Amino acid sequence: MPQADTSNQNATVPEASPHRRRRRRISNASLLVGLALTSVFFIIALVSFFYVPHDPNMPDVRNRLLPFGSPGHLFGTDVLGRDIASQLMVGAQTSLLVGVGGAAIALVLGTIAGLAAASSGKLVDETIMRGADVLLSIPGIVTALVLAATIGSGAGTTILALTAFFTPSFTRVIRSAALTVLEENYITAARLYGRDRIFILARHVVPNIAGVMIVQFTLYFAVGILVESSLSYLGVGVSRPSMSWGLILNEAQQQVGVSSPLAMWPGLAIVLVVLGLNLLGDGLRDVLDPKLNGRRS
Amino acid sequence: MLLHYVLRRLAFFIGAMFIASVLIFVLIRAAGGNVAAVVLGRDASPEAINALATEYGLDRPWAVQYLDWITGMMGGDLGQSFRTGESVADLVVSRLPISVPLAGAGLVLAILIAIPAGTYAARNAGRSSGTLIALISQIGIAVPVFWAGVLLSLLFGVQLGWLPTGGWTPWNVSVLGAIQSLVLPVLALGLVMAASLSRYVRTAVLDVMNQDYVRTARATGMSQTRALLTVGLPNAALPIVTFLGLLIAELIGGTVIIETVFSLPGLSRMILSNVAAREVIVVQSTVMLIIVFVMFVNLVVDLLYGLLDPRIRVAG
Repeated sequence: MPQADTSNQNATVPEASPHRRRRRRISNASLLVGLALTSVFFIIALVSFFYVPHDPNMPDVRNRLLPFGSPGHLFGTDVLGRDIASQLMVGAQTSLLVGVGGAAIALVLGTIAGLAAASSGKLVDETIMRGADVLLSIPGIVTALVLAATIGSGAGTTILALTAFFTPSFTRVIRSAALTVLEENYITAARLYGRDRIFILARHVVPNIAGVMIVQFTLYFAVGILVESSLSYLGVGVSRPSMSWGLILNEAQQQVGVSSPLAMWPGLAIVLVVLGLNLLGDGLRDVLDPKLNGRRS
Repeated sequence: MLLHYVLRRLAFFIGAMFIASVLIFVLIRAAGGNVAAVVLGRDASPEAINALATEYGLDRPWAVQYLDWITGMMGGDLGQSFRTGESVADLVVSRLPISVPLAGAGLVLAILIAIPAGTYAARNAGRSSGTLIALISQIGIAVPVFWAGVLLSLLFGVQLGWLPTGGWTPWNVSVLGAIQSLVLPVLALGLVMAASLSRYVRTAVLDVMNQDYVRTARATGMSQTRALLTVGLPNAALPIVTFLGLLIAELIGGTVIIETVFSLPGLSRMILSNVAAREVIVVQSTVMLIIVFVMFVNLVVDLLYGLLDPRIRVAG
């Protein structure tokens, strides 16, 4: 069983300073606000799988460019009369799918590579980490462009690009977190007891770095949403009949002057979700991983 | 020891470029299918396809093509476009007067905003003014750069009519016109990058502020500002320099996007249109150039780092 550090159990607990109390209050607030924003986004995305007010791709010439708050079209309609609220709802699906997909696959690969690097000899460690360095020096957008040029664009390609982009960062973070844990006495004890490497990693290391993993996942989920919307905006992400907030913005910009409110909603949606996830990640870090306080990936 | 460190970094730089170039070459060739057939389109005769393949050496083994490409790149020959026959080097050079000032001015603007803002936020941490700055940068990080661009062009271009909403006036036609077409793109790029940079500056300054040597300097009677400038800044400079290396990748991504928002015919517009046209050689060479540039910046950052901090060059 992992042991807790009991060395300062008898030490007197210092009075919380006003500064520290304030910090705690801020971190609780960011956790709550982040959780609220993220939940709203998840609920909208989930609901949209079962119900959207209108078909987001269905033109309706009689109802073109309706303003915000029109009956039946709460967020109005675009230049072809397509319902904006429905487009935003279905766009949330793409953000969710691509963001979670890219961050989750990269987390799994990065954890495997990071644990392997941390627990192996110098040669394996160096090889994995220098490989990560090479991948890190290729700008994410360049990877995405090359992939779009070769295998065509779409949600799958975007997830692949995000995976290539995130995995080296995850590898670095997981490796350094695992190295700290591997120095603990309970690891030495488990080793002396005859436990093999895989058992020690799975049973003792992973549970102890789970906090770091959750925080990193949340923060990269947010980056994934930003990148997905950018690629769709550039025309190398998802395209109709699929829907993305970046795509809506791209279409809105071509109609600027005609329908500028259209450019507001998808941008606002991206900002709120990404802000929510970042606040959630920061709040979670303060709760789960006090050692990393204030440091960003 | 310093020489050993420099040689190690140089060896890594060369090795990394080799791996990246193989990766790009194989990826593009493996997934690209028969390049000549794709370029000529569906109605092309087999003879025409073969002729084009022979002309550009696409029928040779991959290893030969790769060596040819790499030796060409080293000699400054980046290959040619299939459709227009223009040399890639000329294409790239013709786009630089747009992309380089855009990225450069964006980076400078970001640094000019982020260093004072981040330092202020750190020195006022725990007060409402510091928290406000931190909150603003937190929101700024969530703003996608293209949305910032669209909003700026809506406000200053469409509503107020002060600046063009997009398009490009070449430098040799009108210097003022060129600058006018760059103002909004640079603003969008710089403001968005300033958000993440200022957060990083804040953390770095906070770290330094709590160090013993700053406290000692304060104990000698220095003011907080003086202590931070004389003892703190040199120490905070290290992590900030590292972050600037990472920021280069973000800068390139942001420039690609912003050029699209404002229809600037820069380097990234060229890559995007060549991606769409499946111009394999153009994409391959331009992408490799960008990667070499990013890796070179990282090499310089690493060398600076080793020069500034003896501990690093000893540890390697």
